[in-house]
Amino acid sequence: MFKAIVSAETLTSALDSVSVLVDECKIHLEEDGLEIRAVDPANVGMVDLSLDASAFESYDADGGLIGVDLSRLEDIAGMAESGQLIQLELDEETRKLHIQIEGLEYTLALIDPDSIRQEPDIPDLDLPAEVILEGKDVNRSVKAADMVSDHIALGVDEGEEFFYVDAEGDTDDVHLELTQGDLIDLQVGPAHSLFSLDYLKDMNKAIPSDTEVTLHLGEEFPVKIYFGFAEGQGQVTYMLAPRIQSD
Amino acid sequence: MGNAALRDIAVIEEVPFDEIEGVVAVDAHNWLYRYLTTTVKWTDSSKYTTADGTEVANLIGIVQGLPKFFENDITPVMVFDGGPSELKDDEIESRREQRRSYEAQLETAREEGDAVAIAQLESRTQRLTPTIQETSRELLRLLDVPIVEAPAEGEAQAAHMVRRGDADYVGSEDYDALLFGAPLTLRQLTSKGDPELMDLEATLERHELTLEQLIDAAILIGTDFNEGVSGIGPKTALTAITDHGDLWSVLEARGAHVEHGDRVRQLFREPNVTDEYEFETALDPDLEAAREFVCEEWAVDDDEVARGFERIDESVTQTGLDRWT
Repeated sequence: MFKAIVSAETLTSALDSVSVLVDECKIHLEEDGLEIRAVDPANVGMVDLSLDASAFESYDADGGLIGVDLSRLEDIAGMAESGQLIQLELDEETRKLHIQIEGLEYTLALIDPDSIRQEPDIPDLDLPAEVILEGKDVNRSVKAADMVSDHIALGVDEGEEFFYVDAEGDTDDVHLELTQGDLIDLQVGPAHSLFSLDYLKDMNKAIPSDTEVTLHLGEEFPVKIYFGFAEGQGQVTYMLAPRIQSD
Repeated sequence: MGNAALRDIAVIEEVPFDEIEGVVAVDAHNWLYRYLTTTVKWTDSSKYTTADGTEVANLIGIVQGLPKFFENDITPVMVFDGGPSELKDDEIESRREQRRSYEAQLETAREEGDAVAIAQLESRTQRLTPTIQETSRELLRLLDVPIVEAPAEGEAQAAHMVRRGDADYVGSEDYDALLFGAPLTLRQLTSKGDPELMDLEATLERHELTLEQLIDAAILIGTDFNEGVSGIGPKTALTAITDHGDLWSVLEARGAHVEHGDRVRQLFREPNVTDEYEFETALDPDLEAAREFVCEEWAVDDDEVARGFERIDESVTQTGLDRWT
């Protein structure tokens, strides 16, 4: 049993943050909210999302599992105008999702969850550095790095106590330093890792500029990127595996 | 290939690459033939012919074929057939060699639905020339891909390595791997899409046979080394072996004869293999040196291999999250 009413913005934010990594996903319809965990086919980027029941106008579920084609569901959600509500109801018999938006009815065929890639184990990471910054600073860093390179280095200078972003291109370089004053918070620790911008750019698309983003970093370790949406009732954690640094 | 009729007998299922991990002992000649044929078919010969007319299409083939292993975190170990055999089995060996190259071409042509190409391909991929043999090994060494030299059949050696637990799968398009006792064989490593997994134990269980009986059944149908008995297909062979027990009783009952039957049987049962090999499974390819070898030393057109090298580079520098789980 699953029946819920949710704002178009909330549903779209949730779907967008997963669809940057995968085309299909499993959605756990838990009693206290939705949960999604997925990893891209190359096992490089992972998303762990939860959307509390309180983020919904109404929510009723008892622990089911459905598989969805994300772009289909996003297209449907995109039919709603800002401020409109979307009603979702699972038909257990036909295994279809009935979606209603202001009189528009859409019946979405679901995907067999067994045919979707297995949900990943969450890596066990002990990351020494923590950086809390505004979404817009993440957006800006990624955008600047992308102008010159395919890779981006994220790190923390322990001595001078700042967070930095480095991108080295064939001809041009980008360097950005954010000190304690520029950041919401910084806990220094040994941290320097290189990441693929292809992935980070996609993840960045889902990060709102006006949200608070927490980065957990280590030395040649995955980065953990955490942020909330839907007024904090939704949580997204991305994990991105590093690239090996040749020099 | 080899004995395509074995397909009807073998337990084979498609497996997604995600579910495969470890070391694949690849029947190198089988693999090379396949890429050689595809390269010769699709690439203008000027792209891989040196100023003095030497053709090294194998270098393009290798660079196009290897990324698949790297990207899926599978370590290939290339097992090469032994040099010109000193065995008395020359006749048998050469017959097999010929068939293998022919089969590779045929399969490619069949896949592409183009029969005209066969004749053209045949003259050029008939044999792995000494240059192809040497340059293939050198390129693999630069890319840090382990090489094992089999005393005789690469496929038999690969099967032996899996049985000893030094590799997890044999990689071969050839169904014969089953007869050499390969517990698990991956097919279609050279094709698009997911590979097929051929399971020896499941095959024997399904037909309630021993490996020796399976070999006998295959000999009745026909292998790379012998013509089968006329009128015996997979079904008949299985029934006959189940009824009569072994090859000789079946032949006697039917008044039939298989040339070199005992030698072929011996070839599968006790193939010439060695325990003298070692390799590391953590690969650290020197892409710069490999690129120089292919594009400068052997003057292969850069565009033909750029993408392949890039794919290998990407897969060795980008880690996966599973490293931390």
